Amino acid sequence: MTAPPESARLAIAWRAGRARLASVAAPAGLALVVFAGVLLAFGKNPIKAYVDIFSSTLGSPYGFSETLVKMTPLVLTAVAVAVPAKIWLINVGGEGQLYIGAIFATWGALTFGHLPGWLLLPLMVALGFLGGGLWGLVSGLLRAKGWVSETISTLLMNYVAILLLNYVVFGPWKDPEGVNYPQTAEFAPAAMLPVLGQSRVHLGLALGLVAVGLFAFFVSRTRWGLEMRAIGGNADAARRNGIPVGRYVVGLMFIGGGLAGLAGMCEVSAIQGRLRPSLSPGYGYTGFLISWMAGGHPLGILGAAFLLAVVTAGGDILQMTQALPGAVVNILMAVILFVILGRRPGER
Amino acid sequence: MLGLARGLLSGAIVSGTPLLYATLGELISERAGIVNLGLEGVMLVGAVVGFITCVSTGSATLAVTAAALAGALFNMIFAFLVISRRANPLASGLALMFCGVGLSALLGAPYIGSQIGGLPEISIPGLADLPLLGPALFAHDALVYLAAPVATLLWWVLFFTRWGLSLRAVGENPVAAFAAGRNPHRIQYQALVVAGILGGLAGAHLSVGVAKAWAEWMTAGRGFIAVALVIFSKWHPLRAIAGAFLFGGAISLQLQMQALGVPISAFLLDMLPYVLSLVVLAIWGGARRHAAPGSLGRVFQGTE
Amino acid sequence: MSLTLIRTARTVLSVLAAFMVVLVAGHAAEAQALKIGILHIGSMADGGYNQAHAEGIQAMKRNLPGVEIIEVENVPEGADAERVMENMVKQGAKLIVAASFGYLEPALRVAAKYPDVKFFHPGGYKRAPNLTTYWASTPEAFYLMGMAAGKTTKTNKLGYVVALPISFFLANINAFELGARSVNPKAETRVVFTGTFLDPAKEATAANALLDQGVDVLGVIVDSPITVVQTAEKRNAYSVGYHSLGAQKFAPKGWIGGIAFTWGNLYTRFARQVTEGAFKSENILGGLADDYLTLAPFGASVPADAVALVNTRKQEFIAGTTHVFAGPLKDNRGVERVKTGAFFPLTDLGKMDWLVEGVIGQPR
Repeated sequence: MTAPPESARLAIAWRAGRARLASVAAPAGLALVVFAGVLLAFGKNPIKAYVDIFSSTLGSPYGFSETLVKMTPLVLTAVAVAVPAKIWLINVGGEGQLYIGAIFATWGALTFGHLPGWLLLPLMVALGFLGGGLWGLVSGLLRAKGWVSETISTLLMNYVAILLLNYVVFGPWKDPEGVNYPQTAEFAPAAMLPVLGQSRVHLGLALGLVAVGLFAFFVSRTRWGLEMRAIGGNADAARRNGIPVGRYVVGLMFIGGGLAGLAGMCEVSAIQGRLRPSLSPGYGYTGFLISWMAGGHPLGILGAAFLLAVVTAGGDILQMTQALPGAVVNILMAVILFVILGRRPGER
Repeated sequence: MLGLARGLLSGAIVSGTPLLYATLGELISERAGIVNLGLEGVMLVGAVVGFITCVSTGSATLAVTAAALAGALFNMIFAFLVISRRANPLASGLALMFCGVGLSALLGAPYIGSQIGGLPEISIPGLADLPLLGPALFAHDALVYLAAPVATLLWWVLFFTRWGLSLRAVGENPVAAFAAGRNPHRIQYQALVVAGILGGLAGAHLSVGVAKAWAEWMTAGRGFIAVALVIFSKWHPLRAIAGAFLFGGAISLQLQMQALGVPISAFLLDMLPYVLSLVVLAIWGGARRHAAPGSLGRVFQGTE
Repeated sequence: MSLTLIRTARTVLSVLAAFMVVLVAGHAAEAQALKIGILHIGSMADGGYNQAHAEGIQAMKRNLPGVEIIEVENVPEGADAERVMENMVKQGAKLIVAASFGYLEPALRVAAKYPDVKFFHPGGYKRAPNLTTYWASTPEAFYLMGMAAGKTTKTNKLGYVVALPISFFLANINAFELGARSVNPKAETRVVFTGTFLDPAKEATAANALLDQGVDVLGVIVDSPITVVQTAEKRNAYSVGYHSLGAQKFAPKGWIGGIAFTWGNLYTRFARQVTEGAFKSENILGGLADDYLTLAPFGASVPADAVALVNTRKQEFIAGTTHVFAGPLKDNRGVERVKTGAFFPLTDLGKMDWLVEGVIGQPR
C-alpha cells in the first residue's frame, strides 16, 4: 500500500491538531482559573493580575527582553537534563553542575583577565563546560560502575558544589578590594559576555539556542542519536547488540553537566560580573521541570522555558502591583504544573 | 572529650529524628513503587500546620496530630496525580515541593516570631541520670523517643503483615499484584497516606520540637536528603534508623567541631554529611544489585 | 512532528492566548504622591533583618501619609533584582531602598539609567550621584554587650551563632570579645557558623553544640534571633539578641541585652529629602548616637555595676574618646593586627578578615 499523498497527510494532521487544541486549551485555562481563585481568596483582582503579568513580561520590548534574559539559563539547564534523559538517566544535579561551571569560568576570568575578549570568552565557555561536565562525569562514572544511582549522586553533589563555591569566595578568591564580603574581584570587561543593544539579552541565549539545535540534530540525525534512542528503548538489547552503554552513560552525563556548567558561566559572565554565593535561584531544578514538562523534546523545552520565565517574572510583578507575598509565585508554578501533569491519565 | 561525645550523641539524635521520619515516609512510598521528590513540601506543610496549631491551641499534642493529618492530606494531591492520572512521578514530586514551599510560606507568614512552648522535654526517670550517656540519650521529646519504635513498627508491618506483603508486591510488580487479586491503586493510596503522615511528623518535629520556630523553607533540603537515605538504607526501615542518625550525626559533628575550634573551614566541614553519604553509598554499591523495588526500575536502576 | 512537541507548543500558545484575551488596555492613572519601592532579600516577616527594614518603611509611611509603597520580598540578587528595580521605576517609584548587600551593583546600574530616581543602599561601599549608602556601625554596641556578658557569665565561656564569616560580622564578634575581656580577662568567645542566614533547626543545633562546650552566654547574628535565644533560655543560659527588640520576651530569665536597627526615622528623613528636593548622595555611617541603632533594655540578670560601666563606656564611644579596636591587638592565630597606640577605624571594617585573640573559631 502506498503512503497517502503529502496533501492528505497534512490535512489529517491539521484536523487532528485542531481537535487537540481544544483539549489543551482546557487545562491551560483551568490553571489560570484555579490561580484566579487563589488570587480572589486573597482579595485580589485576578484580571488585573494577569494583565499586569502579561504587559510587564510581553507587552513591552523591555519586558520581552527581560523574559529572554530570564529564559536563558533555564534553556541550558533544561537541555542539561534532556540529554542524559534520552537514555533514562535522571540528572537532578543541574544546580551543582552550574555552580562548578561558574567556578571554573571564574578561575579563567581571574587568571587570564588580561587577555582580549575574543580569546578570553571562548576560554571561559570551554572552562564552564568542562567544570560542569566533570561534575556530571563523576555521577556518570558512579552510575556506569553500578555503584550509585545518578539521581542520588547528582542530588548530593549539588550541596557539595554550593559549599565549594562558598569556600572559594570566602577564602582564596575573596576580593581584596571588596569589603570582605564573600565575592570575587570584578571581572575585566573582556570577560563579560556581550549584550544585545541596550537590553540585557546576552550571548548566552545564543549558546542555549545552539545547544537545543545541536541536541535536536544529534538525536535525530546521527548514529550516536540512534544508539542513544536504542539504549533508551531497551538497554539490555542495545548492549547485546554491541552498543557501549557504559560509555554513553558517562558521556551523556558529562555533556549534560557541561551544559549546566555553561549556564553557570553565563550567570557570572553576563549577569553578575563576579562569583558570589547564591548564584542560582534553583535554575537546575527548574530546568529539570522544564525538561520533563516538554518530554525532553527540543522545541518543547524552548516553549516551556519561555512559559516558566514569564511565570516567575510575573510573580515579581504580582508582588509589586498586587501586594501579594512572594511565595505566591511558587503556588502559581505548582498549579500550572499540577494541571499539566494531571491532564490525561496514562501520559508519561 | 566526654562533653563532645555527649553533645555529638545528643545532636545526632535531635538532628536525625526528623530525617528518620522523613526517610520512613519516603521509604514506604517507594516500597509501593512511587518516588516522591516532593517530600520536602509535605514536611513544610506539616511544619507550618504543627506550628500554627501549637500557637493557637498551646497544645503540642494537638499540633503534632494536626501536622500528621495535614501531611497526609497534602500528599493526596501527589497521590491523585501519580496514581489516578498516571502523571510522571518525578515532575509531580517537584511540583508538590514548589506548592508546599509556597503554601507553607503563605500560611506561616503571620506566625513568624510567635513563641511556643513546643514539645516538652521528657527525661526518663532513672535512665536520664545514668552517668556518661544518660542525659544525651534519655532527655528528649516524645517524637524523638517514638522515632525508632515507629521505624520498627514499619518494619514489622512491611514484612510481617498481609498489608505489608501486598504493598511490597505492588512495588515489585503492580501488574502481577493485580493479577493476584490485590488492588494496586488502593494500596498505593494507603501507602501515600502513611507517607504523608510520616512526612508531616518530620516537619512538625522540626518546627515544634527542634527549632520551636517557623521560618520559610525551614526544612532546608532535608526532604531530598531523605530520598538519598532511603537508598542508603536499601529500602529497609531498620537500616534507615542507622542512616538517619548517622547523617544527623554528621550534621551535628561539623557544628561541634566548630564549637571546639577545630581549624578547618566551616564550609569544608559542612560538606561532611554529603560526601560521607556518597562514599558509603559507593562502597555499598556493589552489594545493592537487586535491593530496589522492581517497579522503581528505570528510576533507580543502580546497576550496569 | 512529535506529540509532546505539539502538546507543549499548544499549551504555551493557549496560555498566551488566554493572557491576550483578558488584556485590558491601559493602567491606572499614576498617583501624585511619592511612590517608594523596597526590595527584600528574604521574607519581610523573618523577625530579623528584613523585618527591620520593612518596619522602618511602615514607620516612615505613618510619618508621611500619602506615601505609596511598592514592596517585593524574596528577590534574588543579580538579574532579578535589577529587573524588579526597573519595574518599580516604571511604576513611578521615585525612591528605592535596595535592602540587601548584594543589590549594590544592580542598583548602581539602574541608578545610572534613571538619574531622577533616588536609591538607598544599606551597607554599600560604592555610591552614585543618585545613590546613598547607609549603615549603622555596630561594633561599639557589640562591645557594650560584651561588657555586660563578661560580667554576667559564670563559666567565662561566651558563644556566638553566626550565619557567615562576613567581615562586618567578624568585627562584631571581635568587639564583643574585646568588651568582655575588658571587664573579665578570662572571657573567651566561641563562634559557630551555620553557613546560611536562616535555618532554625541548624541554629538550634549549633546553639546546643556551644552550650555543650560549657558556654553560658549565647549571642546570635542570623536573620532571626528567636531560635538561639529560645534555645539558650531552655538550657538556662544567658542570651544577647540582635535585629529585633522583641526577642527579649523569649528569654525572661536569661536576657542580657540586645541590638536592633530601627530605621523608621532615617527612612522618614530619606523620604523628606526626596520630596523636598534636598537629596545629596552621601555615605551615612551611624552609631550609638543615632536613632537607627537601638540598644534593648538590659535584663535583670545583669549586675548593676556592669550596667553602670556600660553606660560610661557608651558615652566615651559617642564622645570619641575611646575606640573599640584600640591596639595592641593580635588575632587568634598570633598575628599582630593593630599596633600599640593605633586603632582600627570603624570605616575600614570591610577589611577585617580576622578574629581577635580570645575568639575560638575560623574566620574563613
